[in-house]
Amino acid sequence: MLSGRHIACVLRTLGGFSVTRCRCSNRRPISRFREGDKMMTYEEICRFLYTEAALLDRREFEEWLELLDDNLSYRMPVRVTRDFGESNDIVDDMTFFDENKRSLTTRVERFRTTSAWAENPHTRTRHFVSNVLVEVNASEDEAQVHSNFLILRSIRDRPEVEQMFGERVDVIRRVDNRLKLVSRTIYPDQTVLSMLNLSIFI
Amino acid sequence: MANRIAFDKTILRGVKEKVQRGLLPQWAFTDEDIYRAEVANIFSKTWNFLGHESEIEKPGDYVTRWIVHDPVLLLRDENGQIQAYLNSCTHRGTKLCTADFGQKKTFTCPYHGWTFNLAGDLIGIVAGNRVYGEEMDRTQWSLRKIPKVSSYCGMIFGSLDEHAEPLEDFLGDMKWYFDIMLGRSDAGMEVRGVPQKWIINTNWKISADNFGGDPYHTAMSHRSTVELGISPKDPMYASYGHQVVLDNGHGINMCTAAKDRADVPPYQGLPPEMWPMFKRNLSAEQLDVFEKTMIMVGNCFPNLSFVSPMHGTGGPDEPLTSFVNFRVWRPVGPTKIEVTSWFMVDKEAPESFKQASYLSYIGSFGPAGTLEQDDAEIWTRVAETTHGTMAQDKDVHYNNALNYLMGLDRVEPDLTWPGPGTAYPTCYLDAISRAFYEHWVDSLLQDADVPTGVL
Repeated sequence: MLSGRHIACVLRTLGGFSVTRCRCSNRRPISRFREGDKMMTYEEICRFLYTEAALLDRREFEEWLELLDDNLSYRMPVRVTRDFGESNDIVDDMTFFDENKRSLTTRVERFRTTSAWAENPHTRTRHFVSNVLVEVNASEDEAQVHSNFLILRSIRDRPEVEQMFGERVDVIRRVDNRLKLVSRTIYPDQTVLSMLNLSIFI
Repeated sequence: MANRIAFDKTILRGVKEKVQRGLLPQWAFTDEDIYRAEVANIFSKTWNFLGHESEIEKPGDYVTRWIVHDPVLLLRDENGQIQAYLNSCTHRGTKLCTADFGQKKTFTCPYHGWTFNLAGDLIGIVAGNRVYGEEMDRTQWSLRKIPKVSSYCGMIFGSLDEHAEPLEDFLGDMKWYFDIMLGRSDAGMEVRGVPQKWIINTNWKISADNFGGDPYHTAMSHRSTVELGISPKDPMYASYGHQVVLDNGHGINMCTAAKDRADVPPYQGLPPEMWPMFKRNLSAEQLDVFEKTMIMVGNCFPNLSFVSPMHGTGGPDEPLTSFVNFRVWRPVGPTKIEVTSWFMVDKEAPESFKQASYLSYIGSFGPAGTLEQDDAEIWTRVAETTHGTMAQDKDVHYNNALNYLMGLDRVEPDLTWPGPGTAYPTCYLDAISRAFYEHWVDSLLQDADVPTGVL
């Protein structure tokens, strides 16, 4: 089993853990691992993220909602192109999603109506989650997790593939012995989304 | 003019005759010759929306935008004046500024280092006199200005035609309604953050038509929100109020609540502390119309659409909150548009309202919005069916015209309407769409004396 501590050590040996600044999350540094920290295991976290992705791809949205903490914040700010030297290319004031658990539940309920045409017939997605990096100063019951996402999407009989990619910054917390998603900030890498709509979750 | 493209006059006159009878040939959405004629005869002549003044408040603030295929650098110069340039270096044509927005005093081209100031002057040439000598007159190589730039209610427009009529004449009676949406409060509107941008595989007229004159689609396209209890069950709920046909192809729907819905607050639920501002800034007639209005939705010809509804997103018991959203359907091909969508709010609205208004917008419009998601999917289906032989047949051998008959010769204008334009006493009507397409085909026909066969 690869523990969170272990992955941090591995990262440190790979070039001295030189990733000190995150490209997308408002330049928030990825802090160094400290000996003696307790944390969720890396395997637990990956299993949580992969399970979540599978539920979304299988359209088991009600089960997906159960992974979300009641106080969830789920946001996707807008990416922009900035000039060299003007560092922050995320505009946090405007988003594509700015949701809580209540509004996400409403979205899921909408999919269960007979007339949510964006998903009727439903579109098919594959969520690829990779490069999972655990924020190493997390406690035993909470971790901040960075991951890459690639979503490929097929719509009806159209042969073109719609896709989206970027990075997510999640806070995952152990609540009543279950892992829950407490917050997710999604940083798309495109400044002009090449998807006709976001009737999917990321 | 040499760059104008003439479409076959006979065909276009046939289209006009059909539009007047409430019919639109289906091929008008995707025909490539039509598309080229639109770029040359409509978008290069009309006023195109570029951005809002609040996006470039201080000298040196800039945003980069497009007029269809022309890249535009829009900025505020040292004197506080708004300027718009072709975003292309005058030396080799390189795109000069590639950022979406920022703050600069000069723009330097990465190709050979030519540098321009906010006035567009060429102020720096690498190894200038040594390579060009005295005969090089720098004043001849300034950035090329977008021929006309003007704004109304903070809305900045540009035209590629130096002979374009004044912006206020072009907007015409739309100004009366823009005042209600954008000029009602003392300090006007502000854009929150940056506009969202995304791509939809459809034709720009389909989306302009949808926002401009089609409240009828809401009952079916957005039925999911009815099923959820967010929107009223009454299939006529978007019909109440007036559809107003304006000159120059513009149109607006001023939707009210059904008569039995006394629970709808005045002024779209905007906070009461703002109402004195409305009284200061609007005429008695505008105030009277605004007080009763729930939804303003329409299109400013050719491709600037707007919607200001009252919407809740969390569930049926959530309060309804209004917002103001403008969007440009920028054509990037006959069946592809880039949507740029701005959320705007009154600068002097209470912060709590600004936040609620933003959440109401995000939840219902934009690519993730529960209402907009379904629109986009349906618009792609309209474009998808339009490439075939039957849909493309110019002789209308297959009688391939689409139905814009709603209300034709049946619904009479309401002469008591206090505002300008021709107002009809229902929003379930194709009057705006017919006027939009008539203005569209007239614009294509304007160069009818240019010899045909250019294509």
